[in-house]
Amino acid sequence: MGAGQGAMVQIPGVRPERKTILIERTLRSGQSLFYDGNVVILGDVNPGAEVTATGDVIVIGTLRGTVHAGAGGDEGALVVAFRLEPTQLRIANHVSRPPEGMTPSGQPEVARIKDGMVIIEALGFRL
Amino acid sequence: MGETIVITSGKGGVGKTTATANIGAGLALLGHKVALVDADIGLRNLDVVLGLENRIVYDLVDVAHGHCRLKQALIRDKRFEGLYLLPAAQTKDKTAVNPEQMREICQELKKEFDYVIVDCPAGIEQGFRNAIAGADRAIVVTTPEVAAVRDADRVIGLLEAAGLNEPKLVINRLRPKMVRQGDMMDIEDILDILAVDLLGVVPEDERIIVSTNRGEPIVQERNSLAAEAFRNISRRILGEPVPLLDLESNGNLLVRLRKMLGLG
Repeated sequence: MGAGQGAMVQIPGVRPERKTILIERTLRSGQSLFYDGNVVILGDVNPGAEVTATGDVIVIGTLRGTVHAGAGGDEGALVVAFRLEPTQLRIANHVSRPPEGMTPSGQPEVARIKDGMVIIEALGFRL
Repeated sequence: MGETIVITSGKGGVGKTTATANIGAGLALLGHKVALVDADIGLRNLDVVLGLENRIVYDLVDVAHGHCRLKQALIRDKRFEGLYLLPAAQTKDKTAVNPEQMREICQELKKEFDYVIVDCPAGIEQGFRNAIAGADRAIVVTTPEVAAVRDADRVIGLLEAAGLNEPKLVINRLRPKMVRQGDMMDIEDILDILAVDLLGVVPEDERIIVSTNRGEPIVQERNSLAAEAFRNISRRILGEPVPLLDLESNGNLLVRLRKMLGLG
């Protein structure tokens, strides 16, 4: 193990055992991605595309497709997107979809489980 | 050596065949030698839209299987100098040819023609794989409907996976009035999702129905916005920078006035 990784473990809340993959493109309808770890997408997730991760899913773009974070049962997993407009959003075993007639907030948002429910908030500086 | 362009959409009924006929005729009017290939084996339509149905002797499947020479199967369109059609077979299905045979046919046609335009069948199965096999670039046709845009997105992903990067988009059957009222997706909504270059926007036009039923491409008509849109698309394929049509020009002063007052 390198010295750098040893140093990272010292920071509370950092889990170096969890891997992260960077996807530098838009996922189009019919394309799906599964990753055992976190997923960061530099692009959009279009309607009809699916992203599944055992960890967090972060979309630096518009998330319109289906997303499942914490697919292994991790209730602490997050979904973050520049524009969070998913067809369906799942975290661990919770399934949710946007309420009917909801207009997009137009700002970065984060979805997480709080008190057994999926809640969506504006993305603040403290995750 | 010419270039092969496949016209595809995923969803059926969005206007692939009409676009193929009119873009092909448009390129021929601009002085180019064009071969249109109907890859929709078993459900051929392009011959009907072009009014050439009664002249078919041999077809694509005959060529692929060596029953005739390529030149024997090509039908010359007498109305458009330089426009030819390679018709599909009607009595076979998509498995009658394979991608390798399509690639060879397109390669052969490219030696003779400036543009080979392949009309792709709806769907993403073998007919689609055949149609894109010989293509150098792709045009994706969609209409301003959620389902059509979804399928276009799927097809763009499949084209990219097949190495046909950066397909160009044609938005067909746009109704400016419905867009203005917020009842139809606008160009921006569509481009926001598909994120590809726009080749042209064709407004809804009843005369298209008349022209396809008669078997006469509309592209040569002077007082039709749809015809003008197709002519512009043909010029953009040649690399000419042509600005997008003002689809509101019919609405004239009243429309502009309403826009200014915020009622548009």
